[in-house]
Amino acid sequence: MLEQAGFREITWGARVDVFSGSAHESDAKDFGTLGITIGGRKPTPRE
Amino acid sequence: MTEQVAPARVDRDALRRQISDKYRDVALDPRAGFHFHTGRPLALMLGYDATEVDALPPSTVESFAGTGNPLSLGRLRPGETVVDIGCGAGFDTLLAARQVGPAGRVLAFDMTEAMLEKARLGAEALGLKNVELRTGYAEDMPVASGVADVVISNGVINLTPDKTAVMREVARVLRPGGRFQIGDIIVQTPVPQDAKDDIDLWSG
Repeated sequence: MLEQAGFREITWGARVDVFSGSAHESDAKDFGTLGITIGGRKPTPRE
Repeated sequence: MTEQVAPARVDRDALRRQISDKYRDVALDPRAGFHFHTGRPLALMLGYDATEVDALPPSTVESFAGTGNPLSLGRLRPGETVVDIGCGAGFDTLLAARQVGPAGRVLAFDMTEAMLEKARLGAEALGLKNVELRTGYAEDMPVASGVADVVISNGVINLTPDKTAVMREVARVLRPGGRFQIGDIIVQTPVPQDAKDDIDLWSG
């Protein structure tokens, strides 16, 4: 999806289990849900 | 995010109301307990610098409900223009505003008025003049095209049924060469279509 939107240099950061242990755990854990950080860059017209 | 993602078949307006109700609760009663962590413990779990967190207004920090640390991908530069999608109580907005300094600005928007009010109060408490807050949606950003050096977001895009539309908007508001730094979630197990289409599962 990100590449289809034209972004370049996609970078993935840390993955963190952000739902386990919360006050009301939900269906999120059933799908192995993790928090992530992701970055990318919009190309210039010359690229 | 390397494959085509079909929009979920949910009533978009009903979904927005349900999610906005949930996050109004996070704004007004952040200690109520949710299906996600909140506040300072979450921020430290995600790797935010404790000193920077503790320099923010407590009312901002208590309603933080992100899923990543967008600013960990690179510090923002003085003078940059930043767009914050779904800014909530302004946690990343205020950190970004400090990083870009008075020569920069942060255009932040959210669909939940109670969150925007907390962000507004937080900016005032810190004396930040470079924060502009607006009401709006990720799929139709209240931002002109090509103005952003950086787009940030934290735990928001997963709450939108049409992620492709959101990323098209990210591309629209970024200047050529601009970058995005987003915290969000991934699933390690495929989510069945019927679960994607169940509006009650979206907000926990």
